[in-house]
Amino acid sequence: MTDVHDLEPQAFLEEVHSFEFWFQAVEGYLSGTTWGHRPGTADVPMSPEDRDRLVTVLCNYCVGEAAALEGASGLIVIAPNRLAKVFLATQVADEARHLEVFYHRLRDLGVADPEREVERRASRSLQTFRRRLLELVAGKDWEAAIFAQNVILESLEFAVFQDHARTADPVTAEILRGVVKDERRHIGFGENELGRRVAGAPHIRSRIGRIQQELDHLVREALEETARHLGTPPDEHERIGRAYVESVARLGFGT
Amino acid sequence: MSDGPALSASDGPAVDERDVAVAVELGEPAAGSPAANDPRGERQRFVLDDAGFDEVPKKYRRFYRKWKGPGDRLAPNEVVCPVCKVVIRSSRTLLPGDRVYCMPCMSRLVVVRNEETGQLEAHVAY
Repeated sequence: MTDVHDLEPQAFLEEVHSFEFWFQAVEGYLSGTTWGHRPGTADVPMSPEDRDRLVTVLCNYCVGEAAALEGASGLIVIAPNRLAKVFLATQVADEARHLEVFYHRLRDLGVADPEREVERRASRSLQTFRRRLLELVAGKDWEAAIFAQNVILESLEFAVFQDHARTADPVTAEILRGVVKDERRHIGFGENELGRRVAGAPHIRSRIGRIQQELDHLVREALEETARHLGTPPDEHERIGRAYVESVARLGFGT
Repeated sequence: MSDGPALSASDGPAVDERDVAVAVELGEPAAGSPAANDPRGERQRFVLDDAGFDEVPKKYRRFYRKWKGPGDRLAPNEVVCPVCKVVIRSSRTLLPGDRVYCMPCMSRLVVVRNEETGQLEAHVAY
């Protein structure tokens, strides 16, 4: 056999849901970086207004990453099998790194007390989403929590970070591109795990559908708010949200 | 493929020293894979080059590349992952019914033909 596609499905899952795979994957794009970007990448001058908008956006990224860090770590306890637990452990490391590099970027931009600034500027809808996600985790609702975190939140972050990286200053863009590479794993895990669950137990679908209805407007509000701060034209917002819409549609949920 | 030395076709089985390393590690082709679906070895074979995709371990990098946007064209051994939009590459021509893996987002996919466009697509197989 000479092709990775020749692997047995279970052997594939054992391979990708391992720390060994994760180590070698992140080594490929994080090696040589410091705080998520190459040390030689220079900051460019920014107007006070642009800097202020970027600080607000990064503060909200921190809220999302903190939610994902707390959510993923809590989910390890209720994960149904070893592979899911190991994968979530790698996700916890990813989320902690994201939070760290965004906080560091805030300090780079002259924010003296990032914790206070994140609290001050955090989007209300994102905070509500975070609270609800952690309630689902505390309630040990595996399917609902995975849906909220690895499908909804991660899809939103994947789309927003990818879009922001196209227009961001060079340092922020490099940080975001590295984070997006991690997010690919997270959205894939969420969609596949939930897809397997729903296929095996269709009654889960209605419960997840209710969660989606409950959280959908929070996701959309957070997306609108971030896009506004980034200066994205309103007619582009739908394009950014497409990853989320497509993902829930593949799982059989409408928006 | 739109540009770059990403892959080249060969008439017979691909001869690549990296294939030997992967072959030793992986064993026999599993059911549903492009190789298993081509028992007589009639499909065109491709020697895959590393296209600079750095999100998977080195030994798997040549099986993936970035989608370059609207001007990009897929080769007969390529499909786009619907979950994460990375281009998945096989060492054989892909046909409907083949099962492929997207390692960057850890998805198992089945190749289908879009009836409207005639193009090959990948659907997630949960």
